[in-house]
Amino acid sequence: MEIAVCVKPVPDPETRLRPGPDQRTLDVEGVKFVLAGYDESAVEQALLLRDQLPGSTVRALAYGPAPRTPEVLRSCLALGCDSVTHLEASAPVDDPMAVAAALAHVLASRPADLVLVGKQALDDEEGLVAPALGALLERPSFSSVTDLRWNPERSRFTFQRSTDTEIERWEAPVPLVIGLQQAWNDPRTAKLPNILKARRQPIDTVPAATIEAAVAGRNGRSLPLKFELPAPRAGARMIDYSTPAEAAERLVRLLREEAKVFP
Amino acid sequence: MTPGLVVIGELRDGRPTEASREAAGVAYQLAAGAPVTGLLFGSPEDSLTSSWARDGISEVCFLPPPTDAARQAGALIPGVLSVLSERSAELVLLPSTTFGRELAGGLAARWDAGAATGVTAIHRGAAGWEVRRPVFGGRATETRSLSGPRAVVALRPRAFPAPEPRDLPGASTQRSMPEVGAVAKGPTLVGTEPVLTGEGPALGDATIVVAGGRGVRSADQFHLIEELAAALDAAVGASRAVTDAGWRPTSLQVGQTGRTVTPQLYIAVGISGAIQHIVGMIGSRVIVAINSDASAPIFKVADYGIVGDLFQIVPALLAEIRRVRGR
Amino acid sequence: MVDFSLTPDQESLRELARKFARSEMAPHAAEVDRNGRFPEEIYRKAWELGLMNLNVPAEYGGTGLGLFDQCLIVEELAYACAGMTTSIIANCLALEPIILGATPEQKDRWLKPFCADYHLASFCLTEPSGGSDAAALKTRARRSGDEYILTGEKCFITNAPHAALFTVFATLDPALRHKGITAFVVPRESAGLLPGREEEKMGHRASATSTVRFEEVRVPATDRLGAEGEGFALAMRTLDQTRTPIGAMATGISQAALDLAARYALQRTTFGKPIAEHQAIQAKLATMAQQLTASRLLTWLAAWTIDRGARGTLESSIAKCFSSDAALRVADEAIQTFGGYGYMKEYPVEKLLRDAKLTQIYEGANEIQRIVTARELLKRYA
Repeated sequence: MEIAVCVKPVPDPETRLRPGPDQRTLDVEGVKFVLAGYDESAVEQALLLRDQLPGSTVRALAYGPAPRTPEVLRSCLALGCDSVTHLEASAPVDDPMAVAAALAHVLASRPADLVLVGKQALDDEEGLVAPALGALLERPSFSSVTDLRWNPERSRFTFQRSTDTEIERWEAPVPLVIGLQQAWNDPRTAKLPNILKARRQPIDTVPAATIEAAVAGRNGRSLPLKFELPAPRAGARMIDYSTPAEAAERLVRLLREEAKVFP
Repeated sequence: MTPGLVVIGELRDGRPTEASREAAGVAYQLAAGAPVTGLLFGSPEDSLTSSWARDGISEVCFLPPPTDAARQAGALIPGVLSVLSERSAELVLLPSTTFGRELAGGLAARWDAGAATGVTAIHRGAAGWEVRRPVFGGRATETRSLSGPRAVVALRPRAFPAPEPRDLPGASTQRSMPEVGAVAKGPTLVGTEPVLTGEGPALGDATIVVAGGRGVRSADQFHLIEELAAALDAAVGASRAVTDAGWRPTSLQVGQTGRTVTPQLYIAVGISGAIQHIVGMIGSRVIVAINSDASAPIFKVADYGIVGDLFQIVPALLAEIRRVRGR
Repeated sequence: MVDFSLTPDQESLRELARKFARSEMAPHAAEVDRNGRFPEEIYRKAWELGLMNLNVPAEYGGTGLGLFDQCLIVEELAYACAGMTTSIIANCLALEPIILGATPEQKDRWLKPFCADYHLASFCLTEPSGGSDAAALKTRARRSGDEYILTGEKCFITNAPHAALFTVFATLDPALRHKGITAFVVPRESAGLLPGREEEKMGHRASATSTVRFEEVRVPATDRLGAEGEGFALAMRTLDQTRTPIGAMATGISQAALDLAARYALQRTTFGKPIAEHQAIQAKLATMAQQLTASRLLTWLAAWTIDRGARGTLESSIAKCFSSDAALRVADEAIQTFGGYGYMKEYPVEKLLRDAKLTQIYEGANEIQRIVTARELLKRYA
């Protein structure tokens, strides 16, 4: 089985956020971009499935500028992906629909049986790429998926999808696009020798010009205008008390009279 | 001709969900008098849509879904596209739920539209629709411009007020669209089960969330959290320490690898406040932290804090809440 | 051209060490310190990721890193918990004599199986009668046919209660002083090899330390490292290699202390403003930053010198001695910045002071480092 896993370089989750000089996007000066969040789970799930299905390969793809994008693809190699493809871009790609269009273009020329995507990126949290890829590749697509397993007797995947009220259990043959919520395991950590080996493995590239030509016909655009931080929280107002009952009484009064959230 | 505005709603128990009603209210305001088309997947016979009409929907279209197709957003797109083209639609609003976000992505791809999800504010800007949305787990907010002739915008539930009932004529027509696109062959729904959220409201929907963490110490003692939640008609949440230890199911987990919640009130009990948890609840309007460790990072994001033994504080709080609420 | 930037390889190995230190070690550091527990599950994970046996060449299953790269890793690990780091890098110390002095056949026999699975090794040099004067050690090795019989006692041996392999320095005849010292490799299961009770220590409580008694332990002559009488030189060459990472460990402690102190200073208010705005605290933080930066650069210089093939005795003794003295001062100032809270076990800073103290003592006490430094220095004037 050919498994493609699409990932996005995102700022290290511990990055201190602040607006960039143009106020439009995050200040990326000195920010380290990493594989994180649901994308990490998607890679883990791809590798688990490969181990379960002999003869399978895992290919990671990412669209974006150097150096952040090839760096994240290197971490995919270090984790055990068989090959990686860098869809080059001359600038950061801020529009999820452009990402989906670029990935669909590349995946159309070399189809995968299973396309795995993290259900949403850790930074913009749009969650648009998986369903958009499904629509563009004309394949069934599901997001918020957990417990993705291959059933060899029925030659189908089984998985769960959580909606806000229900957990649905599905069965589906390939080809399939999955926006993953959680892998079976916590994502693995790459071993040091593999990290060093990954530095010398090749990265396939698709030139920026090819991608730009492929997505040039799109009309719909999403463009960041402003990046703001919320007014800093002052830190908790600590409630003084001498007995637990007094603490409870004061908290409830504050919630009712000051915060006005108590029902 | 006025730009077409279409709201895609979700039905629960035959009625448009709260989030769908909020979307209708937003659409009504943006349309400024022009008609707003509502789109539902179901049949007029089984649905009560009068409330939606009062929220501002001037006409409700029904797309009758074949079995299970309503659960596969992709399969609905051809039908939706036919409605959009008939209405010369420019903007589609829908709730930013699991279903709404899946539909938004697929629809925008096929409709060649700009798209945004989790949106908390929208207005018409110089170059198109401008939307605001929290990013980085609520640690920042971005404003985006959706330019181009078409846009799909998924609105974050509870970010907009429930619409005031208006004295509107009500939906002029309720009709079924005959054309439904071919359903993707293959995927089959094997079964469903309700999300385990305990007794109270669903975690994603709740106005109040009471969440417990490692400080609760054991599966047996977690009922304290559940009692507090019940007294407040709140949903129960948990930190990863709790679900990892198997004290409660992972469906309750709030945080980076669990759910993101944005209730009016979030009460964190015995949760130290690792960043992975914070990103899942920082968007809450008011945060209360109860923890024995005064230096716990949770107090940095909380609005109100109580340093103390939760096994003493929570029972006292329960008693006080029951007293105040008279039960 | 001098260049202080790291290569992409170095960036990624430091990143791995940082991630491991902060996600696997740090959350358990306080508990393990409080209980004096030996967190073997963490050491096993470190081994799985290739963060143990850093100096063993890759062909024998180790990570095969140069000293500079090792130092980058050690600093990151020590930032989270110096005690755990001591146990994680003890293998480097114990295996270095094998790497330096074993025949190819011996390396195949010991290093390969040892690195193929998780095992700990212990370096047995120090004795109850004195550690610094290594030439005066008393553990005896008597030749008997094809074997040596070891008798004596070693003390302060890291990981000894859990080790599978011991590199042991013994003398054929104390009268020969350093010329009598010979090195052996002794497996745990050898009859008469008796690790003692785990010591209760001031710091580094995640690491296990005990005595090791040798009661007529029979060691085949084929398990001798190098020739008879070459043990002292082997021990000194080993320490030349492993001294520098102690500088990195101390640097990690200093960095942790400065980070804690600076964050606290911005948060804690007295007289209506954050204490970071008081000049007395600013002066402390500035001095801490100076000490920290100098520690790191001296450590890097020593590692770089040795990686270029020089013996680096001067540079490594300066790095070890300066950085460990600095770590004690920086940790001390961090506690002072925290005030009364700093003295409380509930806060993480007092542990740093207790952990820093050991870096002045082990792998050659700083008094010895100064002698070594002076001796190397004076050679250049003689």
